Amino acid sequence: MTKNHNLCRRRRMYAGCLFFLSISLTLSAQDLLVSGQVTDGQLPISGANVLIKNTNTGVVSDFDGRYTITAKPTDSLQISYLGYTTLTIPIQNRSTINIILQEDATALGEVQINAGYYTTTIRESTGNIARVTAEDIELQPVVNPLQALQGMMAGVEITSGGANPGAASTIRIRGINSLRTEGNYPLYIIDGVPISAEPIETNSILGNSGLDPLNNLNPSNIKSIEILKDADATAIYGSRGANGVVLITTKIGAQEGTGLEIRTYTGLASVPKKMDLLRTSEYLAIRKKAFQKDGVEPTKRNAYDLLLWDQERYTDWQEYAFGGDAEVTNANLTFSGGNDNTSFRLGGSFFSQGTVYPGDYQYRKTTGNMSLNHFSKDRKFRVTASLNYGIDTNKITGDLKLSTINLLPPNAPALVNPNGTLNWFDWAEAGLANPLEGYFNRNDIGTNNLITSTSVFYKMLPGLEIRSGFGYTRFDSNELWRLPARSYNPIGNPVNRSAHLSSVRKSWIIEPQLSYNTNIGKMEVNSILGATIQENNSSRQSLQGSNYASEALIGNLAAAEDIINAKSSNIQYKYAAAFARIGMNWEKKYYVNLTGRRDGSSRFGPNNRFANFGAIGTAWIFSDENFFNDVFPYISLGKLRASYGSTGNDQIGDYGYLDAYEATRGPGGLYPTSLANPDYSWEVNKKMELGLELAFWKNRVNVALSWYRNRSSNQLIQYTLPAITGFGSVQANLPATVENRGIELEFNSVIFNNKNFRWQTSFNISLPKNELLRYPGIEQSSYANTYRVGEPLNITLHYDYTGIDPETGYYTFNDVNKDGRLDFQDRTLVEDRTREFFGGLNNNFTYRGFYLQFLWEFVKQNGKLIYYNAGRMENILNSYASANLQTPTQSYQGNLAFSNAINSSHFIEDGSFYRLKTLTVSYDIPERHLQNMGIKKFNLFLHGQNLLTVTSYGGMEPENSYEGNFIGNLRTITAGAQITF
Amino acid sequence: MKINNSIFGTIILLLLSINFSCEDQVSIDAPTDKLVRTEVFRNDRTAISAMNGIYNELYQADFSGGSRSSVTVLAGLSSDNVQYFNSVNLNMMEFPDHEILPTNPGNLELWSSAYNIIYLCNSFIEGLINSTSIDLELKQQLEGEARFIRAFTYFYLINLYDKVPLILNTDYKVNALKLQVEKEEIYTQIEDDLKFSSETLNTSYRNSERTSANKYVAKAFQARVYLFLGDWQASEKLSTEVIDETASYEILDSLDDVFLANSREAIWQISPIGGGGIASNTNDGSMFVIDPFFSFFSTLKLDESLVAEFSENDLRRKKWIGYNASLKAYFSHKYKISASSKFPIQEYSMVLRLAEQYLIRAEARLKMGKTQEAVADLDVIRKRANLSLLTEINPTISGEALLREIYTQRRVELFTEWGHRWFDLKRSGHIDTTFNNSPTWEITDRFYPIPSEEISKNPNLIQNDGY
Repeated sequence: MTKNHNLCRRRRMYAGCLFFLSISLTLSAQDLLVSGQVTDGQLPISGANVLIKNTNTGVVSDFDGRYTITAKPTDSLQISYLGYTTLTIPIQNRSTINIILQEDATALGEVQINAGYYTTTIRESTGNIARVTAEDIELQPVVNPLQALQGMMAGVEITSGGANPGAASTIRIRGINSLRTEGNYPLYIIDGVPISAEPIETNSILGNSGLDPLNNLNPSNIKSIEILKDADATAIYGSRGANGVVLITTKIGAQEGTGLEIRTYTGLASVPKKMDLLRTSEYLAIRKKAFQKDGVEPTKRNAYDLLLWDQERYTDWQEYAFGGDAEVTNANLTFSGGNDNTSFRLGGSFFSQGTVYPGDYQYRKTTGNMSLNHFSKDRKFRVTASLNYGIDTNKITGDLKLSTINLLPPNAPALVNPNGTLNWFDWAEAGLANPLEGYFNRNDIGTNNLITSTSVFYKMLPGLEIRSGFGYTRFDSNELWRLPARSYNPIGNPVNRSAHLSSVRKSWIIEPQLSYNTNIGKMEVNSILGATIQENNSSRQSLQGSNYASEALIGNLAAAEDIINAKSSNIQYKYAAAFARIGMNWEKKYYVNLTGRRDGSSRFGPNNRFANFGAIGTAWIFSDENFFNDVFPYISLGKLRASYGSTGNDQIGDYGYLDAYEATRGPGGLYPTSLANPDYSWEVNKKMELGLELAFWKNRVNVALSWYRNRSSNQLIQYTLPAITGFGSVQANLPATVENRGIELEFNSVIFNNKNFRWQTSFNISLPKNELLRYPGIEQSSYANTYRVGEPLNITLHYDYTGIDPETGYYTFNDVNKDGRLDFQDRTLVEDRTREFFGGLNNNFTYRGFYLQFLWEFVKQNGKLIYYNAGRMENILNSYASANLQTPTQSYQGNLAFSNAINSSHFIEDGSFYRLKTLTVSYDIPERHLQNMGIKKFNLFLHGQNLLTVTSYGGMEPENSYEGNFIGNLRTITAGAQITF
Repeated sequence: MKINNSIFGTIILLLLSINFSCEDQVSIDAPTDKLVRTEVFRNDRTAISAMNGIYNELYQADFSGGSRSSVTVLAGLSSDNVQYFNSVNLNMMEFPDHEILPTNPGNLELWSSAYNIIYLCNSFIEGLINSTSIDLELKQQLEGEARFIRAFTYFYLINLYDKVPLILNTDYKVNALKLQVEKEEIYTQIEDDLKFSSETLNTSYRNSERTSANKYVAKAFQARVYLFLGDWQASEKLSTEVIDETASYEILDSLDDVFLANSREAIWQISPIGGGGIASNTNDGSMFVIDPFFSFFSTLKLDESLVAEFSENDLRRKKWIGYNASLKAYFSHKYKISASSKFPIQEYSMVLRLAEQYLIRAEARLKMGKTQEAVADLDVIRKRANLSLLTEINPTISGEALLREIYTQRRVELFTEWGHRWFDLKRSGHIDTTFNNSPTWEITDRFYPIPSEEISKNPNLIQNDGY
């Protein structure tokens, strides 16, 4: 967790000015004019808030730190400034009060955190909320803002969806809760409006991960991302909070004057690591050895690489397939302004990224955003509105079998003829299809995303506010996959084809709320009562055209001779809820926070549509106890907190309870596709958390330690049935329980902080544990070979590798049940693929105008890399000398032993890594050079992403340590400038 | 303050205008891609679509689609007609070896897909019966079609597995624990369903194609069922009715035309169009035909003993059997098209055809002592194959020799079609002598094992003997 002091301080200052300038001065007989200067002991502090305690009246100190305010002699002044400890001073009839503010190293208590329906502060929070702010995100050259969070937050695991821009990342907050992989998405909320986290379906090579629904957001327009983790924070989201909540807040306008900000950067991205593969001579030597060993005469069918192909030829297929550089460009323009009552922000951005593959492909994104914030003159009424709109077009390769191409024999013939057509001849000679088959296919995906929200607030009485939020979102995607005939072997008489896919997601939400804050003696009460009504509608259409007369016509359905596989579907989802929160504290020392929600969802059968969720969170700020203060004066904050509660998970698809017929794949037919169970219900996730937060030396050092245990039960699964019932399973709840428990540690310190030099460091580490606690009848279920009771969900079952048979030279395995064959019963070794621990270490240095930041991400996990496929014509890693590998062979038995070895413990290796995730160097050109030009700030920066990875893993991307040749995070270096007018 | 009051009033109004009846708020309509069952059977058109859906799914279903785990392939492998020559897939080898493990995935697919089709039929029949708005005549016709397909499916289940659970509704909670019943009880149900079908179905197909069940489809299949049950009179009578329907059916002179879509020899075919997607010709074709270019994809070839069974000048040997020189393998070439997305689709997957009816009637007549008529029926088949007629070369053939000849003709006429040979071997009692040389053969191998997964999920199921 890191905080942006400069930015916040400035914004706070503006806010303060506006707020208080609007209060007119009316002097009455008893009133007293108080004036003075606010300093930090040496220098004046301008922009400090001077407020009459328990009123809305206040002023802001001027450039010299001076202030003047009218107050009653009995009032107290409350003086605050971000980054400094707030002071309360009774006036006691004085007319001059000079104030010295003490620097509060990290301003821990002041930073407002968004808890969704309410805000809190780190000091007062009873729950666990992680937070990242704009400066950590805005310079990262990523498509999806969540990709920028890697390594930054404890308990938040993000893995990249691959090197293709637009692929959905996977985000897991405190582990896997649901047995269904599609049941583990967190809830995304953007400016109060929920967005479906489910990736968007695509036919393209991004099909595995899908398109990320957050792609069209502009990372530069994000003010903060808060991640709610424990029951106290998430229970108010009820049936949707089980997997955690991601709150994204976009930037709002400044409240003074007008400003213009331009930021642009450009750079290059490339694949950071390639595998160490064999050269032609080494490769051929091994192949020959295999035939000698087996005593088999090589033929053109089994040894085309030895007999048909050029024995001297060498191609670096990795270089060929993904050796390119992808250009990255981003430009951002923001205009903001405002006056006392109204502020606005208008922004636009452009982002483009190429790919590392051969061919001309590109991802482009254009976004626009607008926000408006208005107060009525008496500040009782307020309205805020925000609009985010993004368009992207993703032109990607329609078909590229990367994993095949980069392992081709190094002497394989050319893939493309000199005239640009695919080389079928040389490959057909070997009885093979050209691995580039489909090369000319192209996929164009265009998406539009609109997210709007409006909130209206009205202060009816002191402490009582009524408000309502309204939101509307619309996301649509259109995809055209062109498959020209020339991509395919002419022998099969291919035709020009196209595949079309389009989808729309729309939703609206209304959330009226009533909040009431009051003090009863020493107790402060903050309460909210609210309701939600939401409706989502989504639809998709797909069809395929074929037999286009010419390639140029592909996609124009009127020119297709046949239109097949036309499919359409629509889904409606309705949701209604009531929620409440009561937060109470006694002297700001003892905190209790109660949250609850009653949810109704259309995803469940008519008998099971409603459920209740709730949580209790408590905190004790023991450092405020006198006895503690006396003993440990250097501990500036000591807080113990605990929370327990329940949340739900309703990610189960829609309409499952209906006894319904669907269209058959063949034309003109209807049929039932599953058994109907009208009675299934939510998954329930019970979360428990204990936390200890300590701050030392006036909050210069902060440590937060939390322990959690989440149990997800009532698992919604496909309950298996004998096939005689017509289907193998039915959707039902099972009393299976998945537990996630772990420890998270966050450390944050300002090591140096003086006028010229500042060094801040933060560190986080998470130690998660995942376990399937119980699953009655797992042996008979379809999960029998996937999960084991008492083990984590992310496991693989392996054969027990017993070494190489000295006689045959083949791998051998333990036939556990001695039945003479190797099958799942013999796969008794359980390998845990969950990360053992992960985290990040971030450092920021500021020296005058210079700024240096770098973030190391670290992960401890297993990995697997398959070295040598005995016999197949496939390139392999250069480390074939190792005694651990079976003798070269192309025999059936050798192949079988190899494929069993893949499913054994043999190839497991360490997949841990340390990665220099981000590195930023920037320089502010001194103001004196800029003043003449009307520029307030001119900043030049260099940014590197994934510059360095330290790992012993032999594959390409340790983040995906089970797929040796996965291309994941690209190494990107960008340079740019930011100018503020 | 005035403006604030009005704003306040607006907000209050807004809040009040929201309907807080939660039940209403979360109730939704069915989506356009799904139709609740009661709606399906509310009007004629959607009810017909649901019936079409069953025919489409017959092409998708493993047991009937003609691909890897179909009756055609697996029972073909179990018999002495088809061999598997790719030793990579050990599961497939278990069929020709008669060493099927209860865990065999192909066996499970065969079983499960048959019960899925039965579910579709049961769900359809329930929906139809509960419907009050469908035209009565259509209702009868559709029920006849669904009951025919249910009977058809049960016929294969009992002939493959012997005793199986008899499931006639969609209540999964009850059905999940059903016991197996005697074969006779299922045959009674089959007879019952077929009797209903042959009475209620129209004499014509529902459209211009031979892919739906009509009266003759039901009767043709009934004729086979009675043959299996030894009711010769019934079998003769029914096959005669089909054979006499010369307006619709004939034995085609050209062997190349028999397996074409809607050929006049076809009584009932399953259309590959039911598979949807980028339509291709039959699975039967892609399983059996060895393509000269893609020979390495092939896994099935014909048993040499089948090839040897053909006489020298048998046209079927020439037209229906191919040879791949590089693999030195004979293959079934009844279907000409292996894998092709050529439009329009030329071949459909054959289920019932007229030639079988002649062979059924020949056998029934022989059993009834009508030897001359039996010879005449058999000669229809021989004639087309360019074989000399028995009436000419051997008019006084003994009953025993004629029965042998009928079985031989059944083998060379109906090979690689729906496992005829496997069931004939079992029916004739020749199975033991045929496989006696095989060291792995046991008499209990007549029936496939109940898939072990099924037994573990339904403890009431009892494994067949020998497994």
